[in-house]
Amino acid sequence: MVYNVVLYVALAVFGVGLMYKISGWFRFSIGIAAQNMTISARIPAVLKGLLVVIFSQKLLTLIRVFVMDVLFQIRILEKDKLRWVMHMLIFAGFIFLLFTHALDKIIITSLFDKYYLKLNPYLFFAGFMVLSGLAIAVYRRFILKVPRLKTKAMDLYVIILLAVIILSGFALEFTKLASFNHYQKIWYVHILTCLTGLAYLPFSKMFHMFTTPASLLANAVMNQNSNPANVMTRRVMELDACTHCGTCSRHCSVAIAYDSIGNKHILPSERMVFLKDYIAHKRMTARGLAAICQGIYLCTNCDRCTVNCPAGINLRDLWFNVREEMIGRGHAVPLMLTPFSFYRGLHQQELDPDQYDNPLNKAQKALAGHFERLNKIEEVIPLTSANREFKKSAGLSLRAGTYAYCFTCENCSTVCPVVGNYENPQQHLDLLPHQIIRSLGFGLLDLAMGSRMLWYCLTCYQCQEHCPQGVKVTDIFYELKNLAVKEADRSIK
Amino acid sequence: MKFALFLGCNIPVRVQHYELSARAVLDKLSIEVVDNSEFKCCGYPIRNTDQKTSVLMAARNLALSEKQGLDMMALCMCCFGSLKKAAHLMKHNPSMQEEVNAQLSKEGLRYTGNFGVKHFLSVLYHDIGINVLKEKATKAFKGIKIATHYGCHALRPSDVTEFDDPVAPVLFDELVSATGAHSIDWPLKLECCGAPLLGVNDSLSMDLTEKKLVDAKRFGADYLCVACPYCQMQFGRVQQMMAFQRNIDIGPLSILFPQLLGLAMGIRGNALGMDRHVLDVSRIESFLE
Repeated sequence: MVYNVVLYVALAVFGVGLMYKISGWFRFSIGIAAQNMTISARIPAVLKGLLVVIFSQKLLTLIRVFVMDVLFQIRILEKDKLRWVMHMLIFAGFIFLLFTHALDKIIITSLFDKYYLKLNPYLFFAGFMVLSGLAIAVYRRFILKVPRLKTKAMDLYVIILLAVIILSGFALEFTKLASFNHYQKIWYVHILTCLTGLAYLPFSKMFHMFTTPASLLANAVMNQNSNPANVMTRRVMELDACTHCGTCSRHCSVAIAYDSIGNKHILPSERMVFLKDYIAHKRMTARGLAAICQGIYLCTNCDRCTVNCPAGINLRDLWFNVREEMIGRGHAVPLMLTPFSFYRGLHQQELDPDQYDNPLNKAQKALAGHFERLNKIEEVIPLTSANREFKKSAGLSLRAGTYAYCFTCENCSTVCPVVGNYENPQQHLDLLPHQIIRSLGFGLLDLAMGSRMLWYCLTCYQCQEHCPQGVKVTDIFYELKNLAVKEADRSIK
Repeated sequence: MKFALFLGCNIPVRVQHYELSARAVLDKLSIEVVDNSEFKCCGYPIRNTDQKTSVLMAARNLALSEKQGLDMMALCMCCFGSLKKAAHLMKHNPSMQEEVNAQLSKEGLRYTGNFGVKHFLSVLYHDIGINVLKEKATKAFKGIKIATHYGCHALRPSDVTEFDDPVAPVLFDELVSATGAHSIDWPLKLECCGAPLLGVNDSLSMDLTEKKLVDAKRFGADYLCVACPYCQMQFGRVQQMMAFQRNIDIGPLSILFPQLLGLAMGIRGNALGMDRHVLDVSRIESFLE
């Protein structure tokens, strides 16, 4: 009686959870091009897409991907053998137990008589497989400490849950003959954890047993020309396909920046965790937004995350789109004024021209905005109040100290191709290179840091190379930009 | 001769023909390159906002090639510049090197500075030599004028990159000449391609690119020749975009140096990725002897 109630409750939670999660794929949107895609348009689009694929040659692709990537998980094998062994042990053991043991009444007994006797050793063997797989998982996360592989509560819950299921299962078999009292208690533990697992499944990373195959299959047959409604649905579904395995972060070109900056959103795997949470309500604090913007913009678009993701998630597309959504929310992103923007510039035709410049202007203003003197050109600057302390250090290196040798020959400004590009350069750049260097000489740090010249510097090093006094002009600009960003960071509440 | 090959982030996804052609040429010249899948971003793009992180990123790569016991060869000039810069900074600031090493030790890495970094062009020029290249260029070009584009971050700051004379460089011109092509004099030869500002200030970036293209054309160039993925993308995909946005004629087109050299050495165009250009440069093969 109690068993039946618990079973049906678990099944109901599982069923409702499944429907709830799947409906999310159609209810939620993320990234640009999110407008005009209603549920009523997205559901038929998916059905139509499915039909088209099933009745085309792409069906063969689906079958190949299902066998190679879903069943045999070749993508994991190619990247990391230990992980493949771990995953296969859990996957194969679990599937075996599911069909021959958990669902025995439905499947096996209808096929074989007296199967219990025959199967017992196999049952143990499958249990050992899962346990060994879990042991490798624990070893990887806590002993091997794969660099930048982060463990979240959700990763731990699943390991614990599976371990309890298998261990109680072992205990159950051992006590079967020995003690009926103990047997009953353990039976409850075993059944309850199994049913908890079932109910929790749609909400846990175990959900990936449905979504990861879906992602692998969808990405195998979708391309740039796919229906945008389906791309959106896939993009949301892929968030559920992510198992937080950390492969993307391990291959990420800029992951090491996390070690020095400490912003976890630099790691793609952690951004996925954030997005899963963000997508439903789309709320965050100013600090949170600043962190996610920095994390998502600090990307060289090298594609390694996409190429290596074992779940086949199209992270390239996700980042490009989510990035636009984030920088469009109004927070200034200093990184936009760096070569990290090259890829965005290269793909500007895919972006809304009306929205393209806004975040750039915002970044520009945030970095130059609070350097007041620059906005008051007519004001006479009293040199005596200059910040003399700054002259000594201000965080500038020895190399930067070379500004003191400047005798204002203006060679730097003369050879600068950016200056040379304008009829009236001050109008576009605020200060010219030699003026920035002189500002440093006067200790006018805010003046030196506030000009657009710094951010429109190509870093081509013509100025530095041509300075007769050995002033390291470009290097000084780099350091001033670093300082300006620190200042701007401080102003975020 | 053996190097650790540093490709950076752009080449494997956006400028694969650079990698293809460089490998083909290096193979013919019997220079062995070793890949390292652990190489990551060189630190170039983050230097504007965070020099410390930039140095850490560069140093990690340098430490990895040290672990292999190899000098590094970079194809991208911006990567090369960034790696050289980091090495230079750490050499002159031991406490920075210590700080970086403290971070790297978490991954069991250590940077000592005992191995060097070279750009692809330097390897060809200094380690192979112009004479050998001339011998190998059996199918040399004839009657073609090339505007050689040096690229900024390999050439300058010269005290750091140690690439060539920053004001009157000859290295790249001589390499181009070795293929039988004529490397022309043109006023903007040493200027920036504009790529560092793409996405930051597009009109400025494109102004600079346009100026270079006009200048090269005015001085009779049939083609531009580059040895950096950023420059190639700027003169390729961005030039195509400019033609559309600014309503200007396309040309001259840009070819990657290892392609130019490879063709002169008799390597097939496809093996050099000649079919992978956004703007088709295959007609350059008609200048081959």
